[in-house]
Amino acid sequence: MRIEKCYFCSGPVYPGHGTMFVRNDCKTFRFCKSKCLKNFKKKRNPRKTRWTKAFRKASGKELTVDNCLEFEKRRNVAVKYQRELWSKTVEAMRKVEGIKRKRQAQFIFNRLKKGKQLEKEEAISEVKKNIHLIKAPHAGKAKVMEEKMVQKLQDVEMVDD
Amino acid sequence: MALYNFKKIMVVPTSKEFIDITLSKTQRKTPTVVHKHYQIHRIRHFYMRKVKFTQQNYHDRLSQILTDFPKLDDIHPFYADLMNVLYDKDHYKLALGQINIAKNLIDNVSKDYVRLMKYGDSLYRCKQLKRAALGRMCTIMKRQKQSLEYLEQVRQHLSRLPTIDPNTRTLLLCGYPNVGKSSFINKVTRADVEVQPYAFTTKSLFVGHMDYKYLRWQVVDTPGILDHPLEERNTIEMQAITALAHLRSAVLYVMDVSEQCGQTLEQQLELFNNIRPLFANKPLLIVANKCDVKKISELTEEDQKIFADLTAEGISVIETSTLTEEGVMTVKTEACDKLLAHRVDGKMKGKKVHDVLNRLHLAVPAKRDEKARPPFIPEGARIGRKTMEVDVPKRKTERDLEVEMGDDYILDLQKYWDLMNQDEKYDVIPEIWEGHNIADYIDPDIMKEELKVKDEEMQEIRQLAKQIREKRKLKIVCSKDKDVHGPRLPRTVKKVERKTLEKEMGDLGLDMTGKDDSHYAVNARRSRSVGVAKKRKREASVIPTSRTRSQSASRPPRDQSGVRDPKMAKQAKKLMKNQQKDMNRQGKKGEADRHVFDLKPKHLFSGKRKSGTNDHR
Repeated sequence: MRIEKCYFCSGPVYPGHGTMFVRNDCKTFRFCKSKCLKNFKKKRNPRKTRWTKAFRKASGKELTVDNCLEFEKRRNVAVKYQRELWSKTVEAMRKVEGIKRKRQAQFIFNRLKKGKQLEKEEAISEVKKNIHLIKAPHAGKAKVMEEKMVQKLQDVEMVDD
Repeated sequence: MALYNFKKIMVVPTSKEFIDITLSKTQRKTPTVVHKHYQIHRIRHFYMRKVKFTQQNYHDRLSQILTDFPKLDDIHPFYADLMNVLYDKDHYKLALGQINIAKNLIDNVSKDYVRLMKYGDSLYRCKQLKRAALGRMCTIMKRQKQSLEYLEQVRQHLSRLPTIDPNTRTLLLCGYPNVGKSSFINKVTRADVEVQPYAFTTKSLFVGHMDYKYLRWQVVDTPGILDHPLEERNTIEMQAITALAHLRSAVLYVMDVSEQCGQTLEQQLELFNNIRPLFANKPLLIVANKCDVKKISELTEEDQKIFADLTAEGISVIETSTLTEEGVMTVKTEACDKLLAHRVDGKMKGKKVHDVLNRLHLAVPAKRDEKARPPFIPEGARIGRKTMEVDVPKRKTERDLEVEMGDDYILDLQKYWDLMNQDEKYDVIPEIWEGHNIADYIDPDIMKEELKVKDEEMQEIRQLAKQIREKRKLKIVCSKDKDVHGPRLPRTVKKVERKTLEKEMGDLGLDMTGKDDSHYAVNARRSRSVGVAKKRKREASVIPTSRTRSQSASRPPRDQSGVRDPKMAKQAKKLMKNQQKDMNRQGKKGEADRHVFDLKPKHLFSGKRKSGTNDHR
């Protein structure tokens, strides 16, 4: 019993779900739902269909090369069951999963940082151009001028004294 | 026919059938219509054809019978003798001879009558000649009734004979009736011969096949032989004798040690000695059967001496029991080995061998040293060999377990698993965790990660930008809501209230206190005062013209510009109002308003169309 990967969207195919297509050259294709199968039949390239994981990885929107992704790999060597090995593996799986999630999130964060930079600049330009919608140009100026005058008077008084 | 294909002989019809078939065939396959007024040669030809056709049919059929039945001289002497025993050679030959004679007679009859028909001068005469010819042929056939019946029976029996190949390796079982020959053949081959307690259960020869040393062997079971001279033997025994005489096989003489067959050992020995001449040039084996009842060692001294004598002569005596299967395999292997050796010897003494031998050369590597190097047989092959040779009970199978335990049985395949720790065999093995296959993970690797610190300074700028965006959106929404239709008037048309101005500027952060001396405030006061003064002076006589008080007095209002006197002003106003009436009635906003409030009013489009049009009903 294993969870397969959908050929088109790379989503999980649980046992009892989805369909499998076998081609004449004996290559099998699994699909998680009829949407993926229909797209496949229309000969669409998953690397160009925007909503698939294949596209996201191919266009660099998600973490592709990382050593925490190397852990999940289909090995064609059968290993005999050993209790401690299995329990250790499950523990390791948990940790790796946590790290993988963090790293994927970090990758996306880094990718979107540029956007933040652009946003920052935009905000600054927005403030520079249209501050008059909120504050009048010499909003605090009268007060400032008054204070200046007060200061001057005080200075004069000081000087007088 | 040199082949032993007695199954392909055509069916021999009875004489009546024969006649019927031929005559009806003649009627069907030859033309049937002839008239008196036809030309004579045509009539003659017509009838001659019929006669010839009938003759031809009989001839063909009878020839086929003659060729199908085997000639006793052409087939193997074993079969010839067997057929003699079963069907009597003389009778057989006689029957076939009769058929031959009949064939010739029919040919002659046809020849004669065809000759006669050449001189027939009328239809009637030719017809009579034809009738005579056909009649004579049919009478000849009627006379063959006995022969035909006999031949049919022979054919049926022949086709049911067992196919014994006289040239291949054969084991022949012989002995008194009821000694256990048929049981033996049942055990050794897949044959299913009837085994019963009465004598002469087996009434004819039976063949079984078995495999040994990758070769096919025939085992022939014979009916029992009794001890009397050859002339007094009946058909059944003669079959056994024939087999013994002609088949080049290994002979297994079966004896009943326990004397259950009804004959003593002496009598059995007597028979053995009598038929000994038949065993010349044949490997011989004595099978002491029914040893589960009585063993040779339990016999009396005299009887044991018999067997000792036989062994001394060089004939192997083997004890068997077809009931417990003890010794059956030994007999088989011994007999086969002996026969093989005999056959090989025979071939070696023949002429053809030298041709083959001259071309063969066995190369043996020269010995290097005295070290013995036996052939290496792996353990598995050794075990396999052992199981092949002797029937040893194999290990206990799951099926045996199931039968033993009955209802309690559970198929438990995990007990055969070969793991590092045997006590982990019955563990429940996890396969999937949180959408991942456990089988895809092996070595974990743990690593740490750092978190990013947020930037504080930008927060303020972001907030301001947010406010700006909100305010902008609000303004857009307000302007959309204004619903301005018609020409856009410049800002100077509207009067701006002092209060709103001060409020707006205050919101933007300017200090609006103490602005009484500002330009806009002064203007506002001036316009107000002027308007009020005007009103005080001419309150009764002057008609209030418009609201445009904020404008300077030099610019006349629109509805007063170009109007000479109040009468004209009144008229102008009236005209305006008249034009507006229509539009007001229809609810139009202006001249260019083409909007239809209800494109499909229900009362125009529903109901029965009585009087009226689509525009009104």
